[in-house]
Order: sequence, then structure tokens, then C-alpha cells
Amino acid sequence: MIFIKKHIPLFICFFVGVLTLGSYYVPNAGSENYIEMMNKWENIVAGFAFLLGLMSLFYSHFHKITRRAPGWGYSLFVYAGFLLVVVPAIVSNGQPMKGPDMTSLGWIYRFVFTSLSGTMFAVLAFYIVSTAYRAFRIKSPQAFVLFAAAFMVILGRVPLGQMMWDGALGWTGYQVTDVIEWLMSVPVVAGRRGIMIGIAIGGIVTALKIIFGIERQYMGKD
Amino acid sequence: MKNALEKFLKIDRRLIFLALTVLLFAPIVRPLGLPNKNLGKDVVNTYNYIEALPERSFVMLSLDYDPATRPELHPQAVALVKHALRRNLRVGIFTLNAGATGMIEDIAARIPKDIAPDKVYGRDYVIMPFQPNPVAVMTQLGINLYEIYDKDRNGNPTKDMEVMKGVKSVKDMGLGICITGTAMLDYYVAYVADKYKFPMAGGVTAVSQPGYGPYLQTGQLKGLIGGMKGAADYETLINDLEKGTSGIDALSLAHVLVIVLILTSNIIMLVLKYL
Repeated sequence: MIFIKKHIPLFICFFVGVLTLGSYYVPNAGSENYIEMMNKWENIVAGFAFLLGLMSLFYSHFHKITRRAPGWGYSLFVYAGFLLVVVPAIVSNGQPMKGPDMTSLGWIYRFVFTSLSGTMFAVLAFYIVSTAYRAFRIKSPQAFVLFAAAFMVILGRVPLGQMMWDGALGWTGYQVTDVIEWLMSVPVVAGRRGIMIGIAIGGIVTALKIIFGIERQYMGKD
Repeated sequence: MKNALEKFLKIDRRLIFLALTVLLFAPIVRPLGLPNKNLGKDVVNTYNYIEALPERSFVMLSLDYDPATRPELHPQAVALVKHALRRNLRVGIFTLNAGATGMIEDIAARIPKDIAPDKVYGRDYVIMPFQPNPVAVMTQLGINLYEIYDKDRNGNPTKDMEVMKGVKSVKDMGLGICITGTAMLDYYVAYVADKYKFPMAGGVTAVSQPGYGPYLQTGQLKGLIGGMKGAADYETLINDLEKGTSGIDALSLAHVLVIVLILTSNIIMLVLKYL
């Protein structure tokens, strides 16, 4: 039993992992055919994974409703939202437009989905502005550096800020865009590059641990 | 005095919300018409790269944004489609984000109306259907795209279309541009641009723009359009002002409000400390 539940999955993972990794560096017809096949398989598996995720979501919210868990009322909106999009999509045959006319799916997309998504994202702006006033206090030299950099970037990104800079500091001969350019291409890139290298090394190590069977979380607890 | 300042420091945040609302609404009702003079270097590079492409080159536009980022990214996409079609380039619109289909629908409806009425679907541009699993699709784009995109979004075979003539993979394309509010552009750089030496540019939200500096310095990205300002810059370059430019006034006032609030709170804090 251990052979089926443990050794075979580990072997499949190792075999497919090494083959896929190797095919990235071997540009011949055989490796391309292999990648093509794997891509098709991935799309098929992704479809089933999506279905599984949907079922899991419904199951979890169904339990919340039946048990009257705190905030169970919101779970009703999961079903309402799902039906609100899926029913028109089926009725419209997945088409948002029929000739020049908008179908029910197109209407839902434009007047419900677009508006709700836009509102959610726009609300962030209000919180950012409020937080900037309440939390952006210069209490240390590090905070001052952060403030100075943020000040430049916020100011220099928009025409009004550029006009203000030109009016107050134009005599220096430096444009605010020059300062931003330096900030973006030196300290920001240095920090970002460090983060990217760290993430990449972490990703490589995790992948190797999975391929060589050191990391086995994906196999479950049994 | 001290009490008044302390009160002001703890101002009801709803008043700040109100101030921002007024500042955002005012330029919509009465545009200020601020001049957009300093164009971003990376935006200009994107424009120049498209300008330098030979006629009828194929440009892949991967529109991977949803309505949440529409104000920033949709004007970028519209400006790029306008520029590419008016330059007589072939355009393929792809998407790996299910939420983007409605945005693409809007562009598809506008092309025959006001973007490029003389261009013909299937000859000058094509719109591919949404595909899940981005990494698999990107890998496939470098080998043989017809294995995944054998049909366009209307179910017509793509291989026989004039717009796809001579295009089997990204190696046959002139440029790829990914417009996204997610990390999709990073994936494109890793799985398509680097591996197949494919020139890529990007369009991203203002908040994620600084993260792409390393790619620009190394030449992995040929250009980058960032946020609404980037869209406004591109509209200025193609001399066709639209939503990106009209949003710049509101953006300017909002930015100035943030600066004023930060300065005010810090001045009050200093006064309270040394009063």
C-alpha cells in the first residue's frame, strides 16, 4: 500500500519534474512535443481544479448557512452572485454582445461587475489619503528618507506637481522627473532586485525539494 | 491652541473622504486642462519601438486586466491598439484573465467605429479567446500557438486567417505587450521574453510600476506604460487625447491633497512637540 500511496507519486513527481526542467534547456523536437503535451494536460487539469474549487466553495458556504455561523448571511451572496452571472451567461450562450445589442451577460458585466470591481478598487484611494494624514509621521531619520522619496514621487508623477516644482525649484536647473528617474533607477531597482533574487532562490529551492521528495506536503497526511 | 491642534490631528476621516470626493469631482465637472509636458522615458521607448517596427509586423497584445483597474489600464490598451493599427501593423489580442473579456469586447466594438474603421477583422487584427493556466499558454506561445489558439473567440479557424500569415509562435512576432494589474507581466518576461528572445513591453498600474525597474535596465522589457499618467503620455504621443488625459486633472489634485495632508500632519506634530 505504501508503494502505491508513497513511492509511485514520488517517482512520478521526480520523473516529470526532471523531464520538464530538462526540456526547458533542450530545444529539440522531442522536448517541444513533450511540453506541448504537458501544456494540454495542464489545461485539462486546471479545468477540473476550477470545478473542484467551485464545489469546495459551495460546500463551505453551505455549511456556514446551515450552522448559522457568524456572518452566514454573507454566504447567501456567494450563491446569489454566482447565479447572477452564470444564468445570464447560459441564456446568452456566453456572448456579451449579439450584433450591436448587449446580451444579459454583457449587461451584468458592464453594469454590475465593472461597477462593483471599480468601486472596490476606488475605495482604496480614500483609505490611502486618510492613512497618509494619520500615519505618515516623521519620527525618525529613516521615516524622513521615506517621506522625502514619497514626496518626490507623488509630486513628480502629475502635471500639477511638476508645475509646482518648476515654480519653486525650477531655478536649480533640475526637473522633478530627473530626481524621480534617479530614485527609480538606483535605490528602487537595487531594493527590488534584492527582493527578486531572494524570491527566485526560494522558488528554486522549493522546486528542488519537491522534485527530490524532501518536501511532501502535496501528498497529504496519510 | 494646543487643544485645537490636537483636535485637528485627530480629524474625522470622513472629512478627508469628503475633501477627496470634491477634488475628484471638480475636474470632471470643470476640467483644468493641465498640460502634460514631461513624458515618461519608458512610455516614449514603447512608442518608439512600435514606430520602428516594419509595416505588417505582428504585435501581440495580451490584455490581462479586469474592471477593477480599468481607469488606469483600459486607456493604455486603447491607445496601443490605435497606434499599432494606424501604423499598419497586425494586431493579435489575447487574454489570460477571465475578467478581461468585457474590456476586450469594448475595444472590439470600437475598432470599426472610431479606432481604425478601415481595418478588417481577420486581415488586420484578430481576437483570441480567454485561456486559463497562463504559464502553460505562455510556454505554448513559444512553440506553436495553434495547439492552443486554433480558433478565435468566435470559433473561426485562426490558421487560415490573413492576419496570422507567417505567424506560428512568438518568434514570428515583432513585439508583445502585456497590460496587467497582476504579476502576469513577470511571467511573460520569464517564460516568453527571456526564453525565446522575444521583445516585450508592458502596461501596469502606477502602484506596481516601480517593481519593473530591473527588467527595464537589463532590456528584458523594451518599454513600460505606468498608470493613468502613462496612458496620458501615450495619448499625447499618438496625438489622440482620451480618457487617460482627462483623468490626469483629478489625479493631480488627489496627489496634491495627499502631499498637503502629510505636510500638515507633520507640521502640527512638530508644533505640538516644541510648543
